[in-house]
Amino acid sequence: MKRKGICITSLVSALLLALSFSATAEEGVTDTTIRIGQWGPQTGPAAPWGAVARGTGVYFQMINDEGGINGRKIDYRMFDDAYNPAKTKAGVKELQEGIGIFGWASGVGTACGLSVKDYLMERKIPWVGPAAGSLHWISPPQKYLFAVYPLYYSEAQILTKYAVSTLGKKRVAIAYQNDDYGKNGVAGAEKQLAKQGLKLVAQVPVEVADTDMKPHIMQLRKAEADAVLLWVGPVHAARIVGTGAAMQFQPQWMSTSTCSDFPFMFSLTKGLWKNVIVANFGELPDSTAPLMQKYKKAHEKYAAKDERWGVFFYAGFGFVEPMVEGLKRTGRDLTRERFVKEMEGIRNFKGIFGTIDYAPYEPSDVYSRQGQKEVFLTQCMEDAKAKRLTDWMEPD
Amino acid sequence: MDMKRDYYEDVQLFSSGVKLFWFILLILFLALYPLLFKNYYVYVANYIAINVLVAIGLNLLVGYTGQISLGHSGFFAIGAFGTIVLMTEAHFPFLLALFAAALVTAVFGFLIGLPALRLEGPYLSIATLGFGLSITRIIGRIELFGGRQGLHAPELVIGPWHLNSDRDFYYLLITITVILTLAARNLVKTKVGRAFVAIRDADIAAQTMGVNLMYYKTLAFALSAFYTGLAGGLYAFVLRFIEPELFSLLMSILFLAMVVVGGLGSIFGAIAGAVLLSWLDLELRNILSIPYLGAWLEVLSRSYFSITGVSNIQYILYGFIMVLIMLFEPLGIFGLWIRTKIYWRTWPF
Amino acid sequence: MTDFLQMIASGIAVGSSYALMGLAMVIIYKTSEVVNFAQGEMALLSLFLTYMVLEFHGVPYYVAFPGALLFAVFLGCFLEFAVLRRAKEPNVLGMIIITIGIEMILMGLVSWKFGADPKTMPFPIGPYDSVAIGEVFVSSLEVLTFVTAIALMVVLFLFFRYSKLGVAMKATQQNSMAARLMGIKTKRILMITWGISSFVGCTAGLLIAPTTMQPYMMWDPMLKGFAAAVMGGMTSLPGSVFGAYLIGIIENLFGGYISIEFKSVVAFFIIVLVLCVKPSGLFARHFVKKV
Repeated sequence: MKRKGICITSLVSALLLALSFSATAEEGVTDTTIRIGQWGPQTGPAAPWGAVARGTGVYFQMINDEGGINGRKIDYRMFDDAYNPAKTKAGVKELQEGIGIFGWASGVGTACGLSVKDYLMERKIPWVGPAAGSLHWISPPQKYLFAVYPLYYSEAQILTKYAVSTLGKKRVAIAYQNDDYGKNGVAGAEKQLAKQGLKLVAQVPVEVADTDMKPHIMQLRKAEADAVLLWVGPVHAARIVGTGAAMQFQPQWMSTSTCSDFPFMFSLTKGLWKNVIVANFGELPDSTAPLMQKYKKAHEKYAAKDERWGVFFYAGFGFVEPMVEGLKRTGRDLTRERFVKEMEGIRNFKGIFGTIDYAPYEPSDVYSRQGQKEVFLTQCMEDAKAKRLTDWMEPD
Repeated sequence: MDMKRDYYEDVQLFSSGVKLFWFILLILFLALYPLLFKNYYVYVANYIAINVLVAIGLNLLVGYTGQISLGHSGFFAIGAFGTIVLMTEAHFPFLLALFAAALVTAVFGFLIGLPALRLEGPYLSIATLGFGLSITRIIGRIELFGGRQGLHAPELVIGPWHLNSDRDFYYLLITITVILTLAARNLVKTKVGRAFVAIRDADIAAQTMGVNLMYYKTLAFALSAFYTGLAGGLYAFVLRFIEPELFSLLMSILFLAMVVVGGLGSIFGAIAGAVLLSWLDLELRNILSIPYLGAWLEVLSRSYFSITGVSNIQYILYGFIMVLIMLFEPLGIFGLWIRTKIYWRTWPF
Repeated sequence: MTDFLQMIASGIAVGSSYALMGLAMVIIYKTSEVVNFAQGEMALLSLFLTYMVLEFHGVPYYVAFPGALLFAVFLGCFLEFAVLRRAKEPNVLGMIIITIGIEMILMGLVSWKFGADPKTMPFPIGPYDSVAIGEVFVSSLEVLTFVTAIALMVVLFLFFRYSKLGVAMKATQQNSMAARLMGIKTKRILMITWGISSFVGCTAGLLIAPTTMQPYMMWDPMLKGFAAAVMGGMTSLPGSVFGAYLIGIIENLFGGYISIEFKSVVAFFIIVLVLCVKPSGLFARHFVKKV
C-alpha cells in the first residue's frame, strides 16, 4: 500500500514537473515556433556582407518548408544595423526585450558583435556562429557563444605554412586591413614564420579609405616579397592584385576566406585573380556535394532574383548549420540550458563547412567554443575554376 | 519674430512662469520616463541624450559663433577613449575620468581653434574635417588605446552604485544632460554668448567693439569640444565597446545636420534636431515592418528596384526629411516652432 | 631615383581624378557659394545607369558614355531647378545640409536599385593595362584621366574667361544684383552652372568606375577634390587642379617615405599648414571683407 503511494506521488510529481516544463517555456519558444534573430548590414559601406543575414533567412525558410525543427517553425527576425554598433545594440534590445528571442544566429561585424556580446552573455542567451574569425569571440570563451568561422589567425598560419613549406617561398609579406581582421592575420603569419625561423619581409597596412594601391605595391616590391598575403576586403584585394599586375609585380598572392569567392573576384579583377591561392572555410560555389546542391535549389526557390549565389550568401547557411543541429538534438523540450548542453555534444559535425566540434565549457580552453578549426586551400584557375590544393587542414 | 527682445528679459533663465511650469513638467516626464516605457526606449533615450549633448556643444560653435566644424567625431572619440583609458589605466573614478577626458578634449578644441582664427567657411570645414579623420588614425596607432582593435568599457561604478542597466545609466545621463543644457542656455545669455553672436554676425565689427576675437573664438571651440568630449565619454558606456573606426566622418556630418536641421543659434533647436535625427537614425531600420507601407515598398522593389537593397529606403527618407525641413524653413525645426507659435497667438486672424 | 619618379608619376595619376572632382566643386562654389556634398553622388547615379545600359541592354560605348554625360548635365540642372532654387532665405549651412540630404537620397536610390556588391564598369581600356616609361609604370586609364583633366581645365578656363556665358557666370558670382540689372538671367545661369559641374563630376566618375564601382566609390574622390579646391582657393579653376596634383604627389611621397598609414590624411595636415599662411588658399585673391 505504502509503495503504491510512493509510486503515485512520484508519478504525479513527474507529471507536474513535465507540466511545469511546458508551462515555463523558454523565452522565444512556443509550441509551434522558435524565434531566432540576426543583425546584418543591408546599407552602408559594409552592405556587401549583408548577404550573410539574407542567406540565413533562405536557409530557415527551407527548413520551415521541410517541416521545421521538431515540429517547430523558425520565426526569423533580421534587421539592418548598417554596421553601426549603436544600431546593432538597439535592434538586439528591441527584439530581445520586445518579443523575446531564443537565440541569435551569426551576425556580421566584430565591433557590432562586441557591442552586444556582454548583453547577450549576461542574460545567458545563446549566440551561434558570428560571421567573423576574430579571437574576440573565444578569448575568453563564453558559455553561450559558439564560434563557427575558423580564426583568421589560423588561416594566416595555414597559408603561411603552405607558402613556405610547399611552395618554397622565403620572403613572405602581408598587406593587411588596418583593423582587428588584418591584425589577426599579421599575428598568425608572424607566429608561423617564427616557427620556421623566418620573418615577414613587409607589413603594409591598408586603410579602408585608400583607393590608390601603388604605394602599397611599391613597398611590397621593395621588400622583394615572393609571396604576399592579402588580409583585406575583396575590393582592396582586387585593386592590389590589379595594380601589382600593372606594375609588373607578380608574387604569389594569397588571400583569406573573405576573398574566396572566385567567380566574383575573377570578374572584379578582369581575370587577374588567376593563380591566387585562398583559404576556404566551406564548399566552393560550384561544388557538387549533395548538401550544396540542395542549398542551391533553396536559393533558386526562395531567394530574391537579384541575390547572387556568392560565398557569403551560402555562408549564411553554413554559420547556422551547427545551431540547427543543436536545436534538432535538443528535441521538443527546448530550453537554453539544454540547447547549450546539446551544442557542447556536437562532435565531427559536417555540413557545408569543415568539421565542427565543441566541448563542454572550459574557461581555460578557447577551443571548447571554436567549432571549426580547419580550412583548405584552393587556387584560382582559368575562368574562375578552383583547383583544390590541399585537404582540410588545421594549424599545427 | 520674437527671438530677441530687450536685454533684461533675455538674461532670465525662465522668462515667464509658464515656461517654468513647462520646464518642471518636462523634468517630471524625464524622471518618470523609464517607468513609463520599455527598457528598449530607455536605451533609445540614452542614445538621443548623447546626441543632444553633442548638438548643444556644436551649436555653441556653429550656431552662435558661426564657425563650421566637420570634425566633431574627433572630439567625440577623444572623449570616449580618454574616459575609458583614464578609468582603466589611471584608475580614476568614473565621473572624474569623464570630466578629465572632457577637459582634455577642450584643450584639443582650443588647439583646433587656433588655426581656425584665420579660417572660415569651406576652409575651416576642410581643416576640421582633416582633424576628425586624422585623430582616429592617431588613436588607432596608440597601443594604450587598444590600437585598431578597440577597447572594452570597464564596470560603471559611482560611489556605492553599480550602474549596470540602461535605466541606471539613464538617470546619470539625463542629469548631466539637463545640467549642461541649462548651463549652455545660461552661457549664451551672458557676456560670452553675446560675444559669440557678435562674432557670428560680423567679426570685424565685434572686434572694433572690443570683443577679443582670439579669446572668444578659441573659447567657442574649447566649449564645444568639452560638450562633445563629455558626450563621447558617455557614449563609450552606451556601447561598452569602442574602436576608432566608429568615429567616422559620417558621424561628424550627422552632428552638423542635427544642429542645422534643428535650428542654428538656439538651444531648443539643437535639442529638437538631435532628437529628430538620432531617433530617425535608430528607428528607420524598422521601416519595412510598418504595415501596408512595408509591403508596398517590397512590391515596389521587386518590380523596379532590387529587394536586396530595399533597406536603403531609410537613407532616401532621411535625406528627404532633411531637405524638406531646410527648404521650407532655414531656421530648421526651431523656425517651424516659432512660426506655429505666432500663428496660434494671433489665431483666428 | 626610380622610386621617386614612380611616386611622382602615381601622385600625378591620382591627382588627376581629384582634380576633376575639385573642378566640379569649384564651378558650383564660384557662382553660388554652395559646397556641394552631393557632387560625387550626382555622378554616381549617371554611372550606375550607364553600367546598366552597357551591361544589360547591350548599348555600345559611343552611345552610353555621351548619354551618361548628357544625363549628368540634366541631373545637375534638375537638382538646382527643383531643389536648391526652392530654398527659402537660403544660408550657406542650410544649403550644405540640403546637398547632404540630396547625397543621401541619390546614394539610397543607387544602392536600392543596384545592391551593394562591387562591380566594374565595362570600358574600352582595361583598368590595369599599363605603359612603362623606363621603369616607371603608369596605367593607360591614368594617362587618359590626366589628359582629360588638363583638357577640361583649359576648356573651362577659356570658357569662363572668354565666352559670353562664362562672363555672365562670373558676373553673377561677383554681384548677382548688378548682373541681373545688366539683363543676365542669374537663375538660369545658376542652373547651367550646376549642369556643367555635374558634367565634370560625371567625367571623373566615368574614369574611376572601370576599376571598381560601388555605392561609396565617389565619396573619397569628392572629399579629396574638395580638399584640393580649398587648397587652390575654392574659386580658382587652375588653383584646384594645382592643389589636386600637389595633394596627389604629397600623398604618394609621404606614403612612400614616411608612413603609409597616414597617407590618406596627410593631405589635410598640409592644407591646414597652407591655410595658416594663406587663409584663402594658394590661388585666391584675398578680398577684404566688408563690414
